[in-house]
Amino acid sequence: MTHPTLHPPTDTQWPRWEVFKQDAPGRPHQAVGTVHAGDPDHALLTARSVFVRRPAAVSLWCVREADLLTATPEELSTHPGLLDTPGEASIYQLAIKRTHKRSMTFVDVVGTAEATGPGDALRQAQAAHPDALAWLVFPDAAAVRTDDDPGTVDSWFAPAKEKTYKQQQFYGVIGRHIGELKRAGLMPGRAPTEEQP
Amino acid sequence: MTAATEATLTPAQTAGLIRRLTALADDEIVLAHRGGEWTGHAPILEEDIALANMAQDELGHAGLYLGLRAELDGSDADRLAFFRDADGYTCARFVELPRGDWALTMLRHFLYDTFEALWLEAATRSTYAPLAAVAAKAVREEKFHVQHTALWVERLALGTPESLRRLQAALAELWPHVGQLFQPVDGEAELTQAGLLPDLGAVQARWQDLVARHLHGKCGLTLPALPAEQAPRTVHTSHLAPLLAEMQAVARQHPDAEVW
Repeated sequence: MTHPTLHPPTDTQWPRWEVFKQDAPGRPHQAVGTVHAGDPDHALLTARSVFVRRPAAVSLWCVREADLLTATPEELSTHPGLLDTPGEASIYQLAIKRTHKRSMTFVDVVGTAEATGPGDALRQAQAAHPDALAWLVFPDAAAVRTDDDPGTVDSWFAPAKEKTYKQQQFYGVIGRHIGELKRAGLMPGRAPTEEQP
Repeated sequence: MTAATEATLTPAQTAGLIRRLTALADDEIVLAHRGGEWTGHAPILEEDIALANMAQDELGHAGLYLGLRAELDGSDADRLAFFRDADGYTCARFVELPRGDWALTMLRHFLYDTFEALWLEAATRSTYAPLAAVAAKAVREEKFHVQHTALWVERLALGTPESLRRLQAALAELWPHVGQLFQPVDGEAELTQAGLLPDLGAVQARWQDLVARHLHGKCGLTLPALPAEQAPRTVHTSHLAPLLAEMQAVARQHPDAEVW
């Protein structure tokens, strides 16, 4: 008996794209998450649906995961060869993660640099921002971007600004709120412990 | 032509406007429900989110249309949506058909979104100021919907033989019903003449051109012939009643609920 395919391909997913969103003119593009999409146009449309419902945005970029090079200080200390990652000489976008004090792992695009390849771009990002928690670089040409056409801005971004949603509190609670029960003395008190003064 | 307000409409105009706004809202509600049926079932998580978002947008538009109707007759949008039977609904059969596969879903949305975007664009020039304002707001979202669904239709048409086969089959199923979208309601001709509502014939001509250019020109699909006759919007397929039964179940079980 023969096995025509001993190792059939198991990953049938579309490529992953990092989504960069700009909230307002003059603000940096920030990496906000990823989408899977079959091609650049599909990636942008999907990114709009997933990440621009609300709140506001004015521009979106998508970059295929394969075009990104990222590193943390720890990764660079164990894999210094990342700084020699070969690739095309071109303009690169440099981005950094500044803080852990965010609920999302946002990375800010901080500028561009001419580099001989992704490794060189990473080295420049590290030199310019030595205190960053992580660096991310990609060739400028690898980004697919929404255009500045007024029609695009109007139909992709303007509707989100006016969208509101009801906070959970709007719906109230089923039964009575715990605070109300406490005030009415209907909640059992905490069991006395020996640590209490 | 001076701008019309509720106060300057004749009783006949008011009645016609109510019929048109209700037909639009009914199409949106039913199509949104079909879109919502994909929640958790779309081919990929990102598309699940995208389709749910678009369904929400369509429901939002229905809310806008019924809001305009409320200004005319004091009706309640929730009562209209959740307490009318199939007999009382005036949606086109096009949106009632079961959700089918992804090809049918994307094609139906493409055909509908293109119609709605063109109708709304024309409605921004309505002499009835409240409608013009609502159209200006809704048309922006609809233009994005068209981009999304046009992209999917193109990818499926130019994808694999299987995706092309499914798309062509979906076209054969949907096409006989699309004419109902352009069927005037009673009294609509007079409203069009007064500049209150878009000219459906002109909208259809633009729709036909855009749809043919995309489906035939770009995607290589064969467009079936359009049937000459369309059933009125009060005659439904057998699919509408079960859809409404599911959609209205909670509201009808709790008719006195105050918070949705």
